[in-house]
Amino acid sequence: MTTGDILLSVEDVEYGYNSRVWGFKRVSIPVLKDVTFEVRRGETLGIMGRNGCGKSSLLRILNGVVAPTGGKVTHPKHISRILLTLGMGFDKELSGRDNALLASMLQGYSKKQAKQSIEGIKEFSELGQFFERPVRTYSSGMRARLGFSTALLTEVDLLMIDETLSVGDQQFNKKAEKAMMEKINSEQTVVFVSHSGAQVNKVCSRALWLEDGVIKAQGDTHEVAKEYKHFMNNLAKKGGKSAWQ
Amino acid sequence: MKIKNFLALVDVKAKMSLKSDASKLYLSYLWWILEPVLWVLMFYLVFTVLLGFGRDILFLMMGKIPFLWFSKSVNSSSNSIVSGKSLITQTNVPRQFFPYEQVHTVLYRQWVTFLMLFGLTMVYGHMPSWHWLWIVPLWGVQYLLILLVSLMAAACVSYVRDVRILIGMAVMGLMFGSGIFWDLNRIEDPVKRELLVTWNPLAYLLDAYRDVLMRGEMYDLQHLGWLALVLLGGLVLVHLFYRFMGQSMASRVINS
Repeated sequence: MTTGDILLSVEDVEYGYNSRVWGFKRVSIPVLKDVTFEVRRGETLGIMGRNGCGKSSLLRILNGVVAPTGGKVTHPKHISRILLTLGMGFDKELSGRDNALLASMLQGYSKKQAKQSIEGIKEFSELGQFFERPVRTYSSGMRARLGFSTALLTEVDLLMIDETLSVGDQQFNKKAEKAMMEKINSEQTVVFVSHSGAQVNKVCSRALWLEDGVIKAQGDTHEVAKEYKHFMNNLAKKGGKSAWQ
Repeated sequence: MKIKNFLALVDVKAKMSLKSDASKLYLSYLWWILEPVLWVLMFYLVFTVLLGFGRDILFLMMGKIPFLWFSKSVNSSSNSIVSGKSLITQTNVPRQFFPYEQVHTVLYRQWVTFLMLFGLTMVYGHMPSWHWLWIVPLWGVQYLLILLVSLMAAACVSYVRDVRILIGMAVMGLMFGSGIFWDLNRIEDPVKRELLVTWNPLAYLLDAYRDVLMRGEMYDLQHLGWLALVLLGGLVLVHLFYRFMGQSMASRVINS
């Protein structure tokens, strides 16, 4: 397959769930409605939207964690994908090295491959001797470094990033952003999710705007970001309901 | 995920969990030995000193130690998917990973407790012989039983948390109903005895351990064979369930 082919397509996807309130009482919560778009190989697709608009649920569907309640998601049988978030289930009692090994293996690496990728993770994270110490001795910035390095240095078909651009101090942020931009500019397929239109505008070639579980606009990032900004500015000026009301 | 990588992941994670658990405790790995020793002492106090059961302490431990392997695995597995929520939201690692990891974490500690048991057996005058090797098939079948029950328990709890309370009670019930404190050969009605051995694999297994180590006899090998087949069949079914229901399980855990 070459760049530009469709890696993953989402057709008329709906998603909702029943949430238990108390005892047997449940409320049904609709999240996504008629969502249709595709992710092409090698592109960086931005998804913007405010809190509660359904971004996280959409990411879980793209990641294959949950199945949509309606519509379908099609992709090649074996695609590796990961959702980059910070501190993916770290065990605080274990060292950075052990955690990095586990995290790589959780993404489907063999033990040998995982061990090979560790030195790169150590170097990138700049944790030095702390890499061999338990994660509970880390500061939050150090934990973020470990999480970011582990997630970024593993190779997958589809990388999903959930607003994690600021992960450490300024120097590391710069390095992290640079590494991420390298990934984005490479053959790597990326889905980048943020509530900030400006951030999406900075890194993505194509974007979609999600509001209340529906795609309001999709296409050229500048256009979509402009519309989204306009909507958010209006909301700030006139006041309005939250996405979930 | 490839099966080989899955098993390697389970192995590494279980070993690391042991390391992590040990590092939280002042006496760390010493607890591996201390815990079974304390169990023996407690049983000795109650059954030998207080009740005067005499030799029967070995009989009790021969039931209690393999039973602890079962109960610990099932109890810790039953909540494993629910407590793996943060990992489930982020990765699509197969859901059976969580109970598997718990089962193996308990498994890797078993060699210490069984060494204790062998030691105790020798203290009571039963010397090791080649016949003891018949323990190995029992271990294998008990592992299959533990795996099956743990996978089923974890799946049920991920849908309805209330089940966890029932599982706790059922395990307690099995403790009284599997012949840890009494000899199932003393059940006079052969029909009742047969029923118990057929429907409670633990009762059969615990008695078989005693056959090999204490009585120097052979257990019913055919029964073991059938049991292994049924358990393997059950495991195939439960893996299919995880395969097809994995996403729905995740949805329940994430959104509950």
